[in-house]
Amino acid sequence: METVSEQYKTCQHCESQIALTSSFCSVCGKSQNAADLEHLSQRKQHLKYIGFFLAVELLMCILSYAVDSSITSILFFDGIFAVSAVLFFILLGSDGIKLLKWPNFSILKLLSTIVVAVIFSYGVNQVVPWLNVNIFKADETSYSLQYAGYPYSNYLMIFSIALMPAIFEELAYRGYLMEKFLKIMGKKEAVYLSSFLFFLMHFSIASIFWMIPFAIVLAEIRMRENTLWYGIILHFFFNFTTCILDIYEFQGKFWLPFL
Amino acid sequence: METPSNINCACCATQFAETDVYCNSCGFPLKGTEDEQRDFITNRTFKEIDLADFHKNIKSATNSLYWVAGLFALGAIIGGFMLQDESEIVAHLIIYVILIAIFLALAVWGKQKPLPALISGLSLYVFIQIANAILEPASILSGIIVKIIIIAMLIKGIKAALEADKIKKEFNIK
Repeated sequence: METVSEQYKTCQHCESQIALTSSFCSVCGKSQNAADLEHLSQRKQHLKYIGFFLAVELLMCILSYAVDSSITSILFFDGIFAVSAVLFFILLGSDGIKLLKWPNFSILKLLSTIVVAVIFSYGVNQVVPWLNVNIFKADETSYSLQYAGYPYSNYLMIFSIALMPAIFEELAYRGYLMEKFLKIMGKKEAVYLSSFLFFLMHFSIASIFWMIPFAIVLAEIRMRENTLWYGIILHFFFNFTTCILDIYEFQGKFWLPFL
Repeated sequence: METPSNINCACCATQFAETDVYCNSCGFPLKGTEDEQRDFITNRTFKEIDLADFHKNIKSATNSLYWVAGLFALGAIIGGFMLQDESEIVAHLIIYVILIAIFLALAVWGKQKPLPALISGLSLYVFIQIANAILEPASILSGIIVKIIIIAMLIKGIKAALEADKIKKEFNIK
């Protein structure tokens, strides 16, 4: 009879030497998958947290659509979104803190992030208004006209459209939501699902062509670099470029803040 | 070094060594009393039946994504006839084609990865209903029973996917 050479591990219960592939100890009969099983039992709980998170986000979206679009309510909801994102992020505890660190900081990566964000945003801003007007028959919208008439309107717009979403959407979606999905499923699925839900939360079917790829890029960067900072910067410069282009188109001037 | 015997486990048919007290693949008490062995097999059989039920729920949930795609196709056609302006019809159809394509893609993906596909499907479906309700509050009531059935099936499928993985891991069922 042929003897089979195998690698061994120690039983978690009786410490006998058992075959490496054993799911049960051949001596005491106890399961060797206790840790995996514990992990699987917690998935339902994590999924409930995700459900709660989505319900809160959805409720805020609905409320912000329901009230008028005055500057006061825009800023009010920016604040509410920010507070909720921070609260959810705090719930992550040490998993969240880990994401706020910036391991392997690279000035080159940072600069490429900014360049990619600006180019991508420019491209999207060339294609999307055309799609919206010609294909989806929506009115051409201007962000800057919403803020017109208020003191420091362009600064307000940059604050509300570029800065706030960049920080707090990253904390909420690439931070809280992705971290929870990673506890339930594999990396690829977590990247995809968090991006899909990010797209859904913006309530715009027409933006599927660019928003899902955009969110996947943000999620991939967060996975590879284990930090939210590149995502925050990419997101900021993407939205910032949109603002600058919007001002250029609707106010007819090339405007850069602080210059 | 261990010498595998020629005997296979009575429960999962994995080959075991003569010195083994329990099967290292399914935990079957190889040297247990007849009662112990019978209880073990009964318990495992019950779990396998549960697992089969969960798989059935997962399957009907992924299939319901095809149904949703079908219902949307119907909605696209009916809605298209009610519109007058040609460019409005094109915009209407494009949106429906995107939604139908997503549901079909999720149904196909669900065969391999039921959990993320069903979560995506459920979220998208609920979002569409909410978006419709914002635009037209009365729309939430139309076909409410079908909507509830679809949502219930998707939730059941998600729960089943979670439970099925647990049973598979607990009893090492492939």
